[in-house]
Amino acid sequence: MAFNTSFFNDLTDIFSKQDGYQLAQTLSPDIPTEELRKICRSQNAHSIKGALKRGLNALTVDFDQQEIHGWVEVYAAYWNATGVILAARESSNDSSKSSSLLWTKVYETWTELLNVVLRGYQNWGFEAWTIPCMYVVCKHLRIFAMQADEERNNNSSFDDAAAILQDDFDPETNKRQKLEDCARVLSRVFMVCQTDRAPLEESRKWGSYYIANLLLKTYFKLNSASLSKNILNSLRAGGRDMPDFSAFPKSQQVTFKYHEGVLAFLEENYVLAEQCLTEAWNLCHKDAMKNKELILGYLIPCHLIKSHTLPAEKLLEPFPELQRLFLPLCRCIKRGELHKFDLALQEGEDEFVKRRIYLTLERGRDIALRNLLRKVFVARGFEEAKEGEKPARRTRVPVAEFAAGISLGSQEKIDNDEVECLLANMIYKGHMKGYISRQHGIVVLSKSGAFPGTNV
Amino acid sequence: MAATQNTTQKDDKAAAANPAEQQQATESKPAALEEDDEFEDFPVDDWEQEDTEAASGSGAAQHLWEESWDDDDTSDDFSAQLKEELKKVEASKKR
Repeated sequence: MAFNTSFFNDLTDIFSKQDGYQLAQTLSPDIPTEELRKICRSQNAHSIKGALKRGLNALTVDFDQQEIHGWVEVYAAYWNATGVILAARESSNDSSKSSSLLWTKVYETWTELLNVVLRGYQNWGFEAWTIPCMYVVCKHLRIFAMQADEERNNNSSFDDAAAILQDDFDPETNKRQKLEDCARVLSRVFMVCQTDRAPLEESRKWGSYYIANLLLKTYFKLNSASLSKNILNSLRAGGRDMPDFSAFPKSQQVTFKYHEGVLAFLEENYVLAEQCLTEAWNLCHKDAMKNKELILGYLIPCHLIKSHTLPAEKLLEPFPELQRLFLPLCRCIKRGELHKFDLALQEGEDEFVKRRIYLTLERGRDIALRNLLRKVFVARGFEEAKEGEKPARRTRVPVAEFAAGISLGSQEKIDNDEVECLLANMIYKGHMKGYISRQHGIVVLSKSGAFPGTNV
Repeated sequence: MAATQNTTQKDDKAAAANPAEQQQATESKPAALEEDDEFEDFPVDDWEQEDTEAASGSGAAQHLWEESWDDDDTSDDFSAQLKEELKKVEASKKR
């Protein structure tokens, strides 16, 4: 691409077809360096606006003057950015020149482009079908922000300079400086989409979920669950006036449901989390392995807590990483091996904590204990069956037998008082139905479903 | 007097250096993993129902999750040991 006749011919074509995604392509910085150089060299700072004005005016498209003015400004800002990106790319290949913060400059010029695009929608009457332009510009703003932060963090001399200038210097905030700025910019874009009052079919509201997803990703990186909640609340509040969620592209639905699910998970709202993550899983593209793995990473702990089910081998088959993470724990839970469960949890602690699932998985110990007690119950067999009746399990279990089971499972001697405490907890949590008869040192279990939901 | 001041200063320095080191150690680890724990952009914007996970799982969704307890698995060492233990408890009762 270059700003020449063939470019303007393409534009005529795109505008008459109203193909937003193709239009967005003309504003993408994600093109080969050679391409970038071509665009950059096709004009100079003096000629660019004039050339664009002539070219756009000549389009056989039904434009008003404001719109033309808007697109001239947009492409001029884009052209401006190409030069800076080119410089940054060239210097990353040549490490001797990387003394100044080139990606910060890229971020800044790209922010200017975004502001111009935004003004296009607010003041210059850009139509809603062109909204993918906003997507592509926003998406790369976030990428440039991260690159700028990385470049600055790798370059300690700039850090020190900032540290000296500020008294209340917080190195953590400084590390994410541009990404935080990017979050503020994106939330403005989000509002511009959300607050559009045009009729639905030509509304910028269609851009809400794409921008919301970018914001959620950004807030997750910045570790801010509370700001993420604001986005969800805003979408919920605007729900009545929004297009139906299922009408959005599946990529947007899945990404949104994933983040909504993880947020619910972090709030320990496992019912909602399971619902959102299941939706994300079902709609996800079957070949998007990385995303499927991410969804399962939270869906597995959800299932464990909510329905006490574990992933089947078939489910984990394509994900060696998840197998490594979860299979040892699952095996211990199934067998009721408390000691090995603790070891497996310890083993994976760092990674579980990092994935924010440690505390949830820890609660899986209850299920392991339930299974252990259940094993004791099952191993004791049946009462002698009376004539013509189904054999009934022996429901009066000595505390000492449970104690023996727990001691074996946890690999340590546990006294009866502690065992009674564990049993009382199991009964309280509904994992076991019955009561403890302290006088006789016996647990009297329910004849109909001593361990609810497990067939005995 | 001056000596004690000196040592406290040293201690302070040592204490200050330590957390910084620790922080660096804890920081570098998640940073490396952070890169790939972000939800990825899909290569396409939208897809047909038959390309979704739900459709490709050949409707076997209910087999993807299994019960957390296992009655068949009574042959493992642990179950055998458990039976031994229970027998012992019962035997000691009868005595």
